[in-house]
Amino acid sequence: MRNMVSDAPRTTLTAFYWAFILYLLLPLTLMMAMSFKDANFVAFPIGDWTLDWYAKVMQDKQFLEACLYSIMIAAASTLAATTLGTWIAMLIVADGIRGRTIIFALACLPAVVPGMISAISLRIFISTIDMPTGTAAIILGHTVHAVPFVVVMALTRLRSMPRNLVDAARDLGADGVVAFFRVTLPYLGPALFGGMIFCVLLSIDDFVRTFFLGGYRPTLPMLIFAKVQGGMSPEINAMATIVLVVTAAVGLYAEFITRRARTR
Amino acid sequence: MVNSNTIAGDAAGRSASIPKYSTGIARIVNSAIYRHTLGAAVESPIGRVILLAGVPLIWLVMLHIGPIYQMLKISLLSHYPAQPGVESHFTFDNYAIFFRESLYFTPLIKSFIFATAATAATLVVVYPVAYYVAKIVKPEGRSKALLLLLVPFWAGELIRTFSVIMLLANRGAVNVLLREIGLIDRPIPMLYTSFSLGFGLVYLICLYMLLPLYSAIEKIPGQYLDAAADLGAGPFTRFRRIILPLSKDGIVSGCSLVFLTCIGVFATPMLLGGPNTVMFPETISGFFHGASDKWPVGAAFALIMLVTALIAAGIFMRLVGGKKGSAI
Repeated sequence: MRNMVSDAPRTTLTAFYWAFILYLLLPLTLMMAMSFKDANFVAFPIGDWTLDWYAKVMQDKQFLEACLYSIMIAAASTLAATTLGTWIAMLIVADGIRGRTIIFALACLPAVVPGMISAISLRIFISTIDMPTGTAAIILGHTVHAVPFVVVMALTRLRSMPRNLVDAARDLGADGVVAFFRVTLPYLGPALFGGMIFCVLLSIDDFVRTFFLGGYRPTLPMLIFAKVQGGMSPEINAMATIVLVVTAAVGLYAEFITRRARTR
Repeated sequence: MVNSNTIAGDAAGRSASIPKYSTGIARIVNSAIYRHTLGAAVESPIGRVILLAGVPLIWLVMLHIGPIYQMLKISLLSHYPAQPGVESHFTFDNYAIFFRESLYFTPLIKSFIFATAATAATLVVVYPVAYYVAKIVKPEGRSKALLLLLVPFWAGELIRTFSVIMLLANRGAVNVLLREIGLIDRPIPMLYTSFSLGFGLVYLICLYMLLPLYSAIEKIPGQYLDAAADLGAGPFTRFRRIILPLSKDGIVSGCSLVFLTCIGVFATPMLLGGPNTVMFPETISGFFHGASDKWPVGAAFALIMLVTALIAAGIFMRLVGGKKGSAI
């Protein structure tokens, strides 16, 4: 009886789920398909197919430079954010710390402030400390953006850590620093790895902070934004497709790694 | 003792019960430099506190509060950046400008309406999906069903926005399809309107709604639903009396997250919106490009937006989250 009643909603929901998947994937699929169009303008139907746009993108110096620049910024900000985020998380779980909640709220602040406002406040901030716009400012901005996510991920893992691991190390004569590097850090490993990949994607994806903090050297999103505003061409589609495939592969890999770590 | 060493992954420590290491870190730890600096610091209580709290607190105060504080400070100045010969003084004028000119507060109201509408639309669209994955898909299939939903989100904000253009442009997929099957003669202008902007926003942010909803719904014990069904509650009653109240946490955090993200979206309105959909972030951005002496006004406006957005999110949390669930 019950199953008969719940069958109709079940079918509807299943259909809805797949319709939603279609909604998510269709625009991206169309965008990728368009990158193979053998014409100078973006329009359906596609008609003739070609790989020329990819050849063109791969020779586009501007694109390759933007890729390298984005990767460099992502690497630097990820490294900084992971270090700081872990450090903050260690402070939050430490014994005898007063104002734990305040520290945690502070650590999460950049994740709650809308991106645009965060970008503007950082732009003002770097000007008050006489820091020029450019690479260092972008890295700083991306680091601020990424720290809350690392803190949350590290905290989740730290809370599941058996206390006696560190106690045992301390009993055996390791001081706090040694215990951290030899016991806590290895235990945090998988969570931090997932967090780092997330930071990389966050940084490569970021537009608004880079827009306000950047100099004249475009990162990938800036380049794509400038190209889209400058007029449509399947070349942008090819560019976006390459970026999409690479970031999706990285994301999938990270998902795989963290999932394996979780089930272990 | 041996056991705990193994757990710690310390192969070298197994042979010793006193600190005598032989590997990489060990050489550092045993060196004189370490013993007299870090090593000594860790030994003393004050040193330990500084080591643990120093860098994190400096970072949090400098870079998590610092920028907002500087923004507040500058929003109360008449001139910034400093110009030779112009004296800067304390003023509330930058805030007053906002209320004087409809040119400024109309975009803020528009931003709020859009963000609210997009949040509501996202909730309605994503809720059934989250419910489906959390309750109807079998546990072993759940991670696959979720993964499929996550795939588009590894594409960046700009790429996703750009892909919406492919769908909605005058010669985009929808218009071409409709013309092929003979429903329309000329393309429906969808791009650069409120519709394309709303569509793009929902497309951009639905993940932020999905994850909180999913984790809230997943936690609802299946027995509650079975019990309600046994007592004669139909699907609608079960949804209204059990699932909805018990997933309230997810709804509140999902909606707040989506709302705050929507308010701060900058690139999407510029690419998908038209002249009628100038949002507040774009207005603010104008003060920072070109005439640089308008920085204080921009800072004031950014703060107005931040405060109103947080208040709106707070009111929402209070309204929805404040009531205690009536189901149990």
